Amino acid sequence: MKNIIRALRAERGWSQAALADQLGVSRQSINAIETGKYDPSLPLAFSIARLFEKSIEEIFDDETDVQLAAQ
Amino acid sequence: MTQQTFKSAQRRYHRLFWPLMFLYTVMVLLGSFGLDVFDPQPTWLQVVIALACTAPVIATLLVMMRYTEETDEYTRMVQLRSFAWGAVFTVSALFTVGFLQLFGVVDRIDVFWFGPVFFLAYGVSTHLIGGKQCS
Repeated sequence: MKNIIRALRAERGWSQAALADQLGVSRQSINAIETGKYDPSLPLAFSIARLFEKSIEEIFDDETDVQLAAQ
Repeated sequence: MTQQTFKSAQRRYHRLFWPLMFLYTVMVLLGSFGLDVFDPQPTWLQVVIALACTAPVIATLLVMMRYTEETDEYTRMVQLRSFAWGAVFTVSALFTVGFLQLFGVVDRIDVFWFGPVFFLAYGVSTHLIGGKQCS
């Protein structure tokens, strides 16, 4: 699933490690989520959304899933 | 999820993992020395030494399982997949070698070596699934 976490993080000048610390996860988790290798659970997605003061839909792009559902 | 989930789990893991590895090394060295000293070797001593060498390994596996349960969700996914691939590889090797022995193709191979094979397969899987940062 695509997301804009890297851009949001860059806007705030946070490193992956700094973001990971704030979310209580490993830096590898942030890297895997940013690169689309791993989709976070709903609780983690909510934590990310709260931290960036945005909605989940604004951060994560589920267009692929919507297209699949429509087919 | 608490803020320090991953780091505190990692700290707890390392605090136990390395002492257990040290204890394992000490027990294997002491055990080998103990068996050399006693001649003939009483069976009870062999059993005690074998159990003393095995105990740190079992404790390490339990520590790894606890880390898997306490760590963050991505690391847990990497750990569980690595355990699974380690098990697939080890059980496959066990069956293959077992049948080869049963049909008389190969001579006796010590079962002991399947333990290190599991840990090797688990380590390689962790590296491949999570990248070198997770291994």
